[in-house]
Amino acid sequence: MDIITVENLNKTYETYRRGSKFSETFKSFFKREKVIIEAVKDISFTVEEGEIAGILGPNGAGKSTTIKMLTGTLFPTGGTINVMGYTPHKERAAYVHNIGAVFGQKSQLIWDIPPMDSFNMNKAIYSISDRDFKYTLDKLTGLFEVEDIVSKPTRVLSLGERMKCEFIMAMLHKPEVVFLDEPTIGLDVIAKQRIRTFIKEMNAQGTTFILTTHDLEDVEQLARKVVIINHGQKVFDDKLQNLQLVLGSKKIIHLMLTSPRTDIKIEGTEVAEKKSDYEYILEVNLANSSINTFIRNLTNMCEFSDISIKELPMEKIITRIYEGHGVSAV
Amino acid sequence: MVGVEIMNYIKNKIQVVKAVSMVTYKEWSAYRTHSMVSIFVGPVYFMVQYFIWKAVYSGNSVLNGMELSQILTYFGVTALIGYLTMDFADWNLQMLVRTGKFLTFALRPVHHRFFALSQKIGHRILGLLFEFLPCLFIFVFIFKVNMIPASPGWTVLSIVLAFLMNFYLNYIIGLTAFWLVQSTSIRRVYQLLLGIFSGGLIPLVFFPVYLQKLLFFLPFQYVSYVPTMVFTGKYSLAGIKMGIPEIVGIQAAAVLLAALASEAVYRASMKRFTGVGA
Amino acid sequence: MKSNYPGIYRECIKVSFATAATYRFNFVLNAIIMLVSNVLFPLVTILIYGSGAGFPGWSFYEVLLIQAVFTLSAGISGALFNGILWVTMRHIIEGSLEIVLIKPVDCLFYLVASTFEPDSIGLIAGGCIMFAIAAGNAGAISLLMWLQFLALFLAGLLVMMGISFIMAATSFKWVGNSRIPEIFESIKSFGKYPQSILNKSAAAFAAFVIPVAMVGCFPAAALLGKASMPMFAAVIPCVLFALSGIFLYKYMIRLYEGVGG
Repeated sequence: MDIITVENLNKTYETYRRGSKFSETFKSFFKREKVIIEAVKDISFTVEEGEIAGILGPNGAGKSTTIKMLTGTLFPTGGTINVMGYTPHKERAAYVHNIGAVFGQKSQLIWDIPPMDSFNMNKAIYSISDRDFKYTLDKLTGLFEVEDIVSKPTRVLSLGERMKCEFIMAMLHKPEVVFLDEPTIGLDVIAKQRIRTFIKEMNAQGTTFILTTHDLEDVEQLARKVVIINHGQKVFDDKLQNLQLVLGSKKIIHLMLTSPRTDIKIEGTEVAEKKSDYEYILEVNLANSSINTFIRNLTNMCEFSDISIKELPMEKIITRIYEGHGVSAV
Repeated sequence: MVGVEIMNYIKNKIQVVKAVSMVTYKEWSAYRTHSMVSIFVGPVYFMVQYFIWKAVYSGNSVLNGMELSQILTYFGVTALIGYLTMDFADWNLQMLVRTGKFLTFALRPVHHRFFALSQKIGHRILGLLFEFLPCLFIFVFIFKVNMIPASPGWTVLSIVLAFLMNFYLNYIIGLTAFWLVQSTSIRRVYQLLLGIFSGGLIPLVFFPVYLQKLLFFLPFQYVSYVPTMVFTGKYSLAGIKMGIPEIVGIQAAAVLLAALASEAVYRASMKRFTGVGA
Repeated sequence: MKSNYPGIYRECIKVSFATAATYRFNFVLNAIIMLVSNVLFPLVTILIYGSGAGFPGWSFYEVLLIQAVFTLSAGISGALFNGILWVTMRHIIEGSLEIVLIKPVDCLFYLVASTFEPDSIGLIAGGCIMFAIAAGNAGAISLLMWLQFLALFLAGLLVMMGISFIMAATSFKWVGNSRIPEIFESIKSFGKYPQSILNKSAAAFAAFVIPVAMVGCFPAAALLGKASMPMFAAVIPCVLFALSGIFLYKYMIRLYEGVGG
């Protein structure tokens, strides 16, 4: 059953342009030039109940604008949104009782006092009964192993600990749908993993998650369904497996050599960029061979001083989808 | 040869002032509407003063040696001079120290104080265009206040000195950030004292005589009261009347003292700064 | 589901005192500085009366009473309403108003409640002391006069609330302008003096357009037995002013949400 339906969603903004010369700044005191920006163009998609859906896209693609409209905090210019039978921006007061949200870069915790006080604040705001509050809180703090942390002032917590508390804060009123805007941004590998485990755990208990991210790993580990947005338009909308089919299982290798080479030729490997005779960026196809095989081949061939293995960057994903595979899925 | 070197030195300094003030001007142009607040606030406060003093003078024609028209000119001129000399070098400096960005200035071949002064020049050019001139027009053409200085030359000189005085004092206050974590409270206390004793609140001749005497030895009156009185052409405080050249001379001496003091505090700060950094 | 607004407000006050307790030193310092910088303006009155002059028809203590009432009003409204300007400004600059909008409570209410400002306690105390000195020298005050005072004083608080909301609403459009308060601070100063010194149009403005006379002068006049019909009539514009503040702020939230944009 679809819990979210978005049809032909649009959002346009007006903003101003300003020059930088003395005379221009002087002029801008009196007159400014208007510019219209289309942040979201005609986007449609659905999310099923109990699903984890990932909205993927580079910075400034319109992900945040979309999630703001889904949470009812931004009015669409056109199109319709239906979440759990509500039109979010029209029935916000009733709607927001049933949703939770974590904005990776905007803290809901009160900086100078312990998270526990912030939790109590939400208890009052969402009218959570004492019993429910205690039960949910114990469960969540247990799951995250933050029983001691919640009574320390927020400002002394690490980013990872704070994120965990942000999640608890967003889940206390047991929302059916939770929106996550860049939930893992800025976190280290271990903290990222903890957050992802938590999301999976909560999802297993029935909560639907919608997350925006520019990190392919978030989507690969969590989502069953992926929507990719670029320049405000939907460029991909399908199951995760189908995205992986389009992208292939590829990794990006950043390589620093100890002695110069004019080229690197290994089976199943392409040179994506040659920065110099010492520095290469390679794209490795892991469909037929493993990363171990690749490394073995590489060490037989040359000596290197530094190597890093990364996911495909957002730009590559977008290009690949434009190359013809993904758009047909729209 | 020495002459050429000095010329080059001066040329270089002027280049720095030009570049820095231009950048500051542009930077603050983004906040264009901030300056425009003054165009409203200045005249409104003036109106309040007008009503207050008109009522006060309804029973007296002269108070503490000042007539109503003089008082009104006083408040108009004080406001306008405020736009020309306004400064927050203290705030900038203590932010640089607190955030550790001061280090980047310690590495530049320009004395930070000179840099800050250039910034202030750019900032006040903005003030001249968008605060001073509009308010001047409002005072002259709408409120019909007499805005013709008794002696333009001395007035400009005195305002320039007030500009420097305000800058050096603020700079010294900003330097306290090297010693105090919470220099904000020092700043606020200083701003409070300046507000009262510079003459912005009420002409200093209204204070008890012993306070007026004391004010000769405090830096505050040189920021606002002195240039305003120079504008009107008559200076007196604590019953002492002085010619315009004399009081501007005293003001210049006070500015020199403030400059020396700021250099002394600066050197002590640098010792402390590098001491902490090591 | 109906929200428990008194409960939320209580929780907010608890949090703000908890925060103040964390930074005790700062809290005391802020309270003192706020007091000193806000009780400066009677100095002008003291110096004027000290020079043997004064406002015709008003004794020194009568004028001081006006300024005591004004200070008290500034202190109370400072605690209750002032924080909304700064929090709105911060949310607009950081684009983070969403975190308030996703809460199932009225946005304006929540922002007002969560910015309760305990620092104003110093100012309230200062206002009380000034008030005691001035009222003690003002002659006998009857119960009726106290009641009249209370009614007008509350109307004055409505004006202060309206001003806070209008300022905060302005900051939606006038992004990051920390000088917005100066505008209203200058207008408020009309309420710090006997209204008889103003000319007709200024007095009408201060009584009926932006009714700042209700913040200081009118309630004090009631205590001095100088209350008149027009003063009570001025309660109506006070209520309207407060309502317009609320509407303007809510309108700005709607714009922020991009209605019709």
